[in-house]
Amino acid sequence: MKKRTIIFSLMAILVVLSLIFTSCGTGTTGTKPGKLTDPQEIRLNLGGEGNTIDPNRASWTNERSVIMQCFDGLLAFKPDLSLTPMVAKDIPTLANKGISADGKTYTFKLKTNVTWSDGTKVTAKDFEYSIKRLFSPDLAAEYTSFYFNIVGGEAYYSATDKTAAQKTALKDAIAVKAKDDYTLEIKLNDPLPTFLNLLALWPAYPLRQDIIEKYGDQWTQPPNYIGNGPFVLTEWVQQDHYTFVRNEKYWGTKPYLTKITFLEITDANVCLAGYKNNEHDQAGVPGGTEKAIMADPVLSKEIVRYAQLSTYGMQFNVTKAPYNNKTLRQALATAIDRVAYVDKVRGGVGKPATSWIPPGMPGYDATLGQQYTFNPTKAKELLAQAGYADPKTLKIKFQYANSGTNPTLAAFLQAQMKDNLGVDLTLEPMEPKAYSALWNTKQFDIGFTGWGADYPDPDNWLPQFYGTGAGNNKTGYSSVEFDAIAAKALKELNETKRLQLWADAHKIVVDDCPTAYFVYRETFVLKKPWVKGQVTTGMDGSIAGDMFLREVYIQK
Amino acid sequence: MFRFIVRRFLWLLLVLFVVLLITFILMHLVPGGPWDREKPLAAKVVVALNKRYGLDQPLWEQFARYIGGVVHGDLGISYSYSDRNVTSILLRGLPKTATLGVLAFILAQAIGIPFGMAAALRQNTAVDYASVLFSTIFASIPGFVLGILMMIVLSVMLHWLPTSGWGSVRQIIMPVICLAALPAAQSARITRASTLEVMRQDYVRTARSKGLKESVVRVRHIFRNSLIPVVTVAGPELANLITGSFIVENLFAIPGVGRLFVQGIYARDYSLIMGGVLFYAFTIALLNLAVDVMYATIDPRIRYD
Amino acid sequence: MAVASETIAVAVRPHHTLWGDAIVRLRRNKLAMAGMGFIILLSLLAIFAPLLTPYGFAQQNYSDILLGPSSKHLLGTDQLGRDTFARLLYGARTSLSVGIFTQFIVLSIGLPIGAIAGYAGGRTDNFIMRFVDVMYAFPDLLLVILLSSVFYGTRFGGSIYMLFLAIGLVAWVNISRLVRGQILSLKTRDFVSAARAMGGMGRYLTVRHLLPNSLGPVIVSITFNIPRAIFTEAALSYIGIGVKPPTPSWGAMIQDGFGLIFAKPYMLLFPAIALALLMLSFTFVGDGLRDALDPKLRR
Repeated sequence: MKKRTIIFSLMAILVVLSLIFTSCGTGTTGTKPGKLTDPQEIRLNLGGEGNTIDPNRASWTNERSVIMQCFDGLLAFKPDLSLTPMVAKDIPTLANKGISADGKTYTFKLKTNVTWSDGTKVTAKDFEYSIKRLFSPDLAAEYTSFYFNIVGGEAYYSATDKTAAQKTALKDAIAVKAKDDYTLEIKLNDPLPTFLNLLALWPAYPLRQDIIEKYGDQWTQPPNYIGNGPFVLTEWVQQDHYTFVRNEKYWGTKPYLTKITFLEITDANVCLAGYKNNEHDQAGVPGGTEKAIMADPVLSKEIVRYAQLSTYGMQFNVTKAPYNNKTLRQALATAIDRVAYVDKVRGGVGKPATSWIPPGMPGYDATLGQQYTFNPTKAKELLAQAGYADPKTLKIKFQYANSGTNPTLAAFLQAQMKDNLGVDLTLEPMEPKAYSALWNTKQFDIGFTGWGADYPDPDNWLPQFYGTGAGNNKTGYSSVEFDAIAAKALKELNETKRLQLWADAHKIVVDDCPTAYFVYRETFVLKKPWVKGQVTTGMDGSIAGDMFLREVYIQK
Repeated sequence: MFRFIVRRFLWLLLVLFVVLLITFILMHLVPGGPWDREKPLAAKVVVALNKRYGLDQPLWEQFARYIGGVVHGDLGISYSYSDRNVTSILLRGLPKTATLGVLAFILAQAIGIPFGMAAALRQNTAVDYASVLFSTIFASIPGFVLGILMMIVLSVMLHWLPTSGWGSVRQIIMPVICLAALPAAQSARITRASTLEVMRQDYVRTARSKGLKESVVRVRHIFRNSLIPVVTVAGPELANLITGSFIVENLFAIPGVGRLFVQGIYARDYSLIMGGVLFYAFTIALLNLAVDVMYATIDPRIRYD
Repeated sequence: MAVASETIAVAVRPHHTLWGDAIVRLRRNKLAMAGMGFIILLSLLAIFAPLLTPYGFAQQNYSDILLGPSSKHLLGTDQLGRDTFARLLYGARTSLSVGIFTQFIVLSIGLPIGAIAGYAGGRTDNFIMRFVDVMYAFPDLLLVILLSSVFYGTRFGGSIYMLFLAIGLVAWVNISRLVRGQILSLKTRDFVSAARAMGGMGRYLTVRHLLPNSLGPVIVSITFNIPRAIFTEAALSYIGIGVKPPTPSWGAMIQDGFGLIFAKPYMLLFPAIALALLMLSFTFVGDGLRDALDPKLRR
């Protein structure tokens, strides 16, 4: 009797142990969840179709969301937004000779086991082809200017009216070379400490020259859309949905999800209705409903909220009177009760902002901009100082795109100006395109705009916004001091010094107040309880958590 | 009759040309262009894009080239979906929009006309009041309000129907009802009004006094003659349904022409806008022609020179 | 026996004009009277709005956001703490004006064009109808957006008159087609031949005989045009080229309420019900008018 008990117990233990070991690590699908019995499929709402999913040409977040699932770049961002090698073996540094001493030459060694979804190997040539294509004058890609520091890039890009032979010559002169199948060398005009970030962005994803040359514009249609990422795009019904399946030939750790569907529902109410009807696994919420959802017994448990790395504010056109008056700008900035807006109107979603760089970004300084904290008495004094002792003499206008939460915001601002300063703010809502036109041609008075991080560094935020004549500088702001500091900071190799320089530049801008900063945005979505493993970052695309869908699994 | 149709068809082509011309001019008068984005493009990119799409040429040349393309069936490349040409975009959306429009039309007439007639024939009874109530209520509710209410009740609360999308029969039910509501109400009202009028005509009284059965009076005399104003409205109504279903398409996430088209307007996608207008204008003009032909068939008193 | 001028008493009905008779009949129609009463009531409320509510339509109160109906706020507040009742009252002004004044434009363009085309026939008819075809072939939404966008860029942008113009310019087409169709069928009727025989020509004929008889469907059409005009204004407000804030309009309020439907459904219901009531009223009045003006019903 005893023997049998022992044997049975041993067998039981063996069975249990073997169960434990087989459920952990089913091949390459990771060890986190237990046995996954449910279909690993997820339905998400992309919200709108972008123009193109060609990595070189894309710029919208909804395009990025699609591209990110199908491609892996040389480097990638970790959940904490630091860089990690992806297709590259290591991150190039001065120490491992990946970066030359003068900071101008970068050498990447690629992993040798990286494959495309059709099995062929990814080589350095694929990166060379892609980056050169990014500069193609005929492609008119939108993010190219970020990469202008690469030798020869800008020259090729500007060659719109040269002959084919001249263009080819310029293309070959671009200093991006595949030294061999697994070594890529890039030369820069000037050292740029944040250059590595650019190689984690989508315009630098590898591309298949043979496929693009064979199919031309149709290469983005499945089944031609071959990538080296964890998922493969198998179906694209235009304006309706995208379907991805797991890349069974994936070279890295395979994701848990076997199928992803991106729907294209543009109306936030419909999206929420569908979520409630269990048609999607995640949904955004219509602006203004956050409070009600936080009070709902069921939905309040399904909320996912986190800070986006984005700042929004009122931009003044400093070339137009009366906005060229610094004291006036400061007066207006101090007259806005941001706390009331965030807490009362938006139900606590978001954070009041008095400076440009948002929390979560290096360079964020909570003490900056304190002089603009809401203070109606001080605001009135400043207004008088600016020459408007009688507020009725001041006529200001606010232009904005009439979409999303902007109308509410505009109405709020108008009331703030009236109640706190006695100033009449004329509102001019416009169609989004008309507003963009006004904005780009610098004809606005006060405009509403913001910026979201492409990569976590101040040089993605400061120079092209506030540098004299810079591409994104639509306020007309120009400061000699700022430009000098920015020029130095861009090249500074010492990290501490660099960040300090940017902090100084940031302070100058905040004091000069070309923008009255308003709010740091927060993402607020609902997620079904069976969606697990989600990783969200402040730099997600159109869908919360879409940077790390490979970590998600379903467990009902 | 045949010559009439041919002549009208030629006029139709001229009308299309004028429509395209006016659209083209208005489009270029509106502030904002296809390259105006929130994240502004570098000046060089804008120049390159303009060159690629021929936007740097003088306006009349652009228009001439466009018309030339149209004649060959080429509606140009879309500005917002740069990998696709307008013809394929429209063709892909057309079956969905057409199905939606036709189904809604049939439903609207199937409900509206009988309701209207019944109301007129039983004037001032319960049926009449019910019909008036029904038609006024559905004429007063904006389409998207009706849609979202249906969605809340039928999908979120009762879980009977899916909220959106296109493909299965269950997904078509709500959009069709939503789209058919207003035209059904209008049909009912106009049918009722015109039936009432016809009923008072002398020839109806004559027919009755001749001893004809009421049902025969109804069918042969009242019915046919009541239909004239209904036809006047029904024809363009169908065109409106097919093309103006933007609200419904947008709400229920249906990838049809209406939705694409208005998104094209927002995006200043010149070729998509022109293509949409062309399609729309052609449909309406064709339907108008059909209406006129039907006029002549139904009312023998109308003769065309 | 020679009978001299004997006056024979004949039962002669007192002579009513078409319009005089119409008013009598209209007065008898209870629903139409109710509708008209509501419209007048609403207009009065709209005109005397400042006396009826202590709140301004733009007055924001951040501690009273999205409240339900209470003694302090009759119909609750919106997402910025503005009083809903006040906004409904002031919004009535906008919606009523848009609805009614656009119809003036519609009628003043559509009636003459339709009448001329219908009566003149032949080449004039053809020419006018082709022009109408062109107008008709435009997707109305597109044309209204384009017109409004173009106007918006000018000095007058955003003013309510531009709105009237944009909507009116697009909506007259229906009326003209309707009028023409009616006149075409009426032309061949007996009473027309009779009038002609009596020497009535052209304009006299059209104005005195043809138009009044065509009015039935025209009126029905107008009563449907009014809600359409108001809805069009809502669509334009949504895009950003409607009435400029902070002027409230029911269309815009419905749009706002729509976005909040999962949070506070009554935000949508109040303006929607108000609008529906207004539409019902116009409809009953329209019906009443049509019945009243129908010459067949004259006694």
